[in-house]
Amino acid sequence: MSEYAVEVENLKIRFNLASEKVDNLKEYTIKLMKRELLFQEFFALQDVNLKVKKGESWGLIGVNGSGKSTLLKTISGILKPFEGTVKTRGSIAPLIELGAGFDGNLTGRENIYLNGMVLGHSRAFMEEHFDEIVEFANLKKFLDSPIKNFSSGMKARLGFAVATVVNPDILVVDEVLEVGDLRFRRKCQERMRQMLAGGTTLLFVSHNIDTVKGLCDNAVWLDGGRVRMAGPAEEICELYREEQDRLTRQKKEEKRAKLRAAGKKYDYLIVGAGLYGAVCARELTKNGKRCLVIDKRSHIGGNVYTENVDGIQVHKYGAHIFHTSNKRVWNYVNKLAEFNNYINSPVAVYRDELYNLPFNMNTFSKLWGLRRPQEVKARIASQIADLGITEPKNLEEQALSLVGTDVYEKLIKGYTEKQWGRDCKDLPSFIIKRLPLRFTYDNNYFNDRYQGIPIGGYTQIVEKLLDNIDVMTDTDFFEYRKEHADMFDKVIYTGMIDEYFDFCYGHLEYRTVRFETERIEEENYQGNAVVNYTEREVPYTRIIEHKHFEPDAEKQDPKPYTIVSREYSAEWKPGIEPYYPVNDAKNSALYEKYRELAASEKNVIFGGRLGQYRYYDMDKVIEAALAAVEEELKFRL
Amino acid sequence: MLEYRIKTLFKYKDLIIELVQRDLKLKYRRSFLGYVWSILNPLLTMTVLTIVFTEMLGKKIENYPVYLLTGRMMYDFLKVSTTNAMKSVTGNASLLRKVYVPKYIFTLAKVTSSMVDLIFSFGALLIVMIVTQARFYWHILLTPLVIVQIYIFCCGLGFFLAQLNVFFRDMQHIYGVILTAWLYLTPIMYQIEFLSSDLLRNFVKICNPLYYYVAQFRDLVYYGRMPGPRIFWGGWLIAFLMLALGVWSFQRSKDKFILYI
Repeated sequence: MSEYAVEVENLKIRFNLASEKVDNLKEYTIKLMKRELLFQEFFALQDVNLKVKKGESWGLIGVNGSGKSTLLKTISGILKPFEGTVKTRGSIAPLIELGAGFDGNLTGRENIYLNGMVLGHSRAFMEEHFDEIVEFANLKKFLDSPIKNFSSGMKARLGFAVATVVNPDILVVDEVLEVGDLRFRRKCQERMRQMLAGGTTLLFVSHNIDTVKGLCDNAVWLDGGRVRMAGPAEEICELYREEQDRLTRQKKEEKRAKLRAAGKKYDYLIVGAGLYGAVCARELTKNGKRCLVIDKRSHIGGNVYTENVDGIQVHKYGAHIFHTSNKRVWNYVNKLAEFNNYINSPVAVYRDELYNLPFNMNTFSKLWGLRRPQEVKARIASQIADLGITEPKNLEEQALSLVGTDVYEKLIKGYTEKQWGRDCKDLPSFIIKRLPLRFTYDNNYFNDRYQGIPIGGYTQIVEKLLDNIDVMTDTDFFEYRKEHADMFDKVIYTGMIDEYFDFCYGHLEYRTVRFETERIEEENYQGNAVVNYTEREVPYTRIIEHKHFEPDAEKQDPKPYTIVSREYSAEWKPGIEPYYPVNDAKNSALYEKYRELAASEKNVIFGGRLGQYRYYDMDKVIEAALAAVEEELKFRL
Repeated sequence: MLEYRIKTLFKYKDLIIELVQRDLKLKYRRSFLGYVWSILNPLLTMTVLTIVFTEMLGKKIENYPVYLLTGRMMYDFLKVSTTNAMKSVTGNASLLRKVYVPKYIFTLAKVTSSMVDLIFSFGALLIVMIVTQARFYWHILLTPLVIVQIYIFCCGLGFFLAQLNVFFRDMQHIYGVILTAWLYLTPIMYQIEFLSSDLLRNFVKICNPLYYYVAQFRDLVYYGRMPGPRIFWGGWLIAFLMLALGVWSFQRSKDKFILYI
C-alpha cells in the first residue's frame, strides 16, 4: 500500500458550458448540421496535481467557480477525469450535500436506511448502527414523520449523522457545515477532529478561512481551475485572505474612481485626517455616506502619525501612548491593530540623580531614603507646614503647597519653567490644580484599565480607518472650498476654530513643542522610552527613545542603532504647529466666542483638539468622534 | 472487471431492495385501499375493455377477459417499467451529483419495483379466471420463465432509454408515442389472425419483441400448451440482445451523465 490516500495527477475536467447545453433532439440536429457541437468547452480543472498522505487534513480554498467542488467530486468518483488520473485508497465518505438522497415523503427512519445504503452500507450494518445515528442527530421524536416536514438544520443533522457513522479512510466535506446552528456545527467539527485523530484523511472545502485553519494542516488554493498554491494551511490561508482583501479594495477603489469621475458630490467633507476625522469618515462611510477627507499635511494620521525609520516606528509628533478605561473604545482600536502591553513608566533625571515617575514610593524612597508610606506622608506634610503658604499667588507657591520643597525643586520647577518658557513665580497658579502623589510602589503612569501601543505604529490604524475612503493630502481646506464649494453637503472641521472664522476675534494661543530627532549608532541609548529632564539648565524637556515603545519588534530584530527625539518647548506664534490649547481665562473666553459663532454655522461640525480647543487623549478623541457621528446619524452605532 | 461489477452489485443489493421498497411504499401511501389497487387497477381496466371489445368483436374470442388480461399484464409491465426506468437517472440527478452511486442501480430498481406490480396483477388474473370459470392448466406454473425473459428485456430497454433520456429529454414524449403504437401493434386486444395483411402479421410475429412474451404467456395461461420453440428461444435471445444493447450504451455514456443532469 502506498502512503498516499489520494493522488491526483495532471487532472483535467472538461464541461460543456451550461448555456450551450443541448438536451433535445431538435437542437442536437441543428447543432450537428452546423458543426457546433462541443465547441463551447470549458475546463473546470487543469493541470491539477495533489498528493495527500494518509491521515493528513487538507483544506481547499478559492473563490466561487475556482473548481474546489469539482475537485472534490472527482476525488469522490462522481466526476470522471477528462485527462489525468485520480487514485484513492480506502473508503470515501462524501459530505457533499448533507441529506442529498433524502426522500421527502419517507419518514426519518426510512430515510436513514435509504441514505445509508446510498452510501454503500448494508441493511444489517444500518440496523446495527441505527440507534447511534439517531442519538447523534438527536431526532428521536421525529423519526416517524415524513422528512419533508423537517427543517433544513434537522436534515443536515441527520445527513451528517448517517454519513459519519463509520470512520471512513477519506472524508470529503464540501461546505456542509455552514448550515445548522452553532451547537451542531461544533458537534460536527468535534466529530471530524475525532476522525482525524483516528487517522482519517480529510479533504475540506469551506469559504470560512478560520474553519479551514482550525481543521486543516494543509491547504490548496485553487484559482480558475488551477492550483495557485499548496502548502501549510496557515500560510496559504493568509495569502489567500490578503489577495481577497486586495481584490475587494481594488473593486471599491474602482467604484469610487467612477463616482469621482462622474463628479458625484460628497455627503461629508472631512477636514483633517487625524483620529477624529478618520473615525468620523469610517463610521459615516459604513452607514452609507460618501466622505472626502482632506489634510493639509502630506500624510494622514494627524499628530498620531508614526513613521517607519530604519525599522523603528518614530512618533513624529511626540510620544503617543494609548490608554483608556472605556471598553468600547479599547475594542474599537483593537479591531484596527494589535496592541502590545506597553506600560508607560517614565523616569526623571535631575542633575545626576534619577527618579521614577509619576511621584510614587519609588520616587520618595530615592529622595529621602524612606521606605514606609506613613513616613513619606509625614515628611511631605512637615515640608508643607514649614512653608506656611495659605493662599498661593503663583504656580511655585501652588506647587509647594501641594508637594513640599524637595519634590518641587527637583522634579517640578525646572521642567515646568522649560515647558512655559518663564519662571514659575511668573506663572499663574491655576496651571497646576492638583499633583497626584501615589503612596504605593507603582510606576505605571496612567490609571486606566487598558494601555498599550499598536504594534506597527499608529499610521496603520488611520490607514485602516480611511480604507476605501477618498483622501486628499496636501490639500488646504480654504483653498479647496474656494474651488469646490458645491462638492459637499456638510463639513466636519478638525482644524483650528479661530482660523475657520478668519481670526475675527483674534488668535487663540497654544503651547507648542519642537522635536530634534536623531539616529544614534548605539543599540540602547537611555533604557526607557521616555526620560524627563527636570533641571532648567538642560534645554530639552525630555528625550524619547522610540524603539522602547515596541520591545517585541526590537527583540525579533535587534538593531545596532536607535532613534531618539529631544523635545523642546517652543514659544507659540501664529503659523507654527499648534499642540496644546492654553486653557487660561483669556483663551477660554475667546474660545467661547468662537464656539458661539460655530454653533450658528450651519452644516459644519467642529471637532477634535483644534476644532474644540481642548486637550484630548486619543481615547477621548475616538469617543467624541463616535458621539458626533451618532448625533449626526441620529442613532447609536 | 466482471468480478468487480458483481461485487459492487452485491454491495448495493440492499440499496436496490430499499429503493424498490420506497417505490412501493410511496405508491400507495395515504391511499385507503393501498396495495389492493395493484389488483383492482388491472381488474377495472380489464372490465372496461371487455365491455367495449365484446361489443365490437362479438364472441369471436373465447373468454375474452382472460385473453385480454394476459396480454395487458405483459404490456403494462413493459410500459410502466421502461417509462420509469427512462427517468431513473434524470430523476435522481440531485443525488448523483453529490454521491458516487453506480447509476444503473436506480434503473434496475425501477424495473424491479414494476415487477412487483406484475406479481400483484397475478392476483387479478386468478380472480378473473375463477369468476369466468376458466380452465386452469398446469402450464401456468411455468410462467416465471416468461417473466424472467421480459424482465431481462425491460432492463435492457430501460438502460437504453435511461441513458438516451439524459442527453435528449424529448425521449419521454417520443417514447409515449412509441408505446401507443406498440400497444396496437401487439395482439393484446385482438388475435394475431385478425391482421389480414400477411406482411403486417409476419412483421409483428418476427419483429415485435413484445409479441414473443405475450404469445408465450398466453400459451401457458390461456391455451394451456407449451410455447413453440421459435417464440420460446426467440424470447430469450431478444431479451439478452436487448440487455446487451442497453448495458453497452449505458456503459459507454455513463461517465458523461453528470455533465448533463
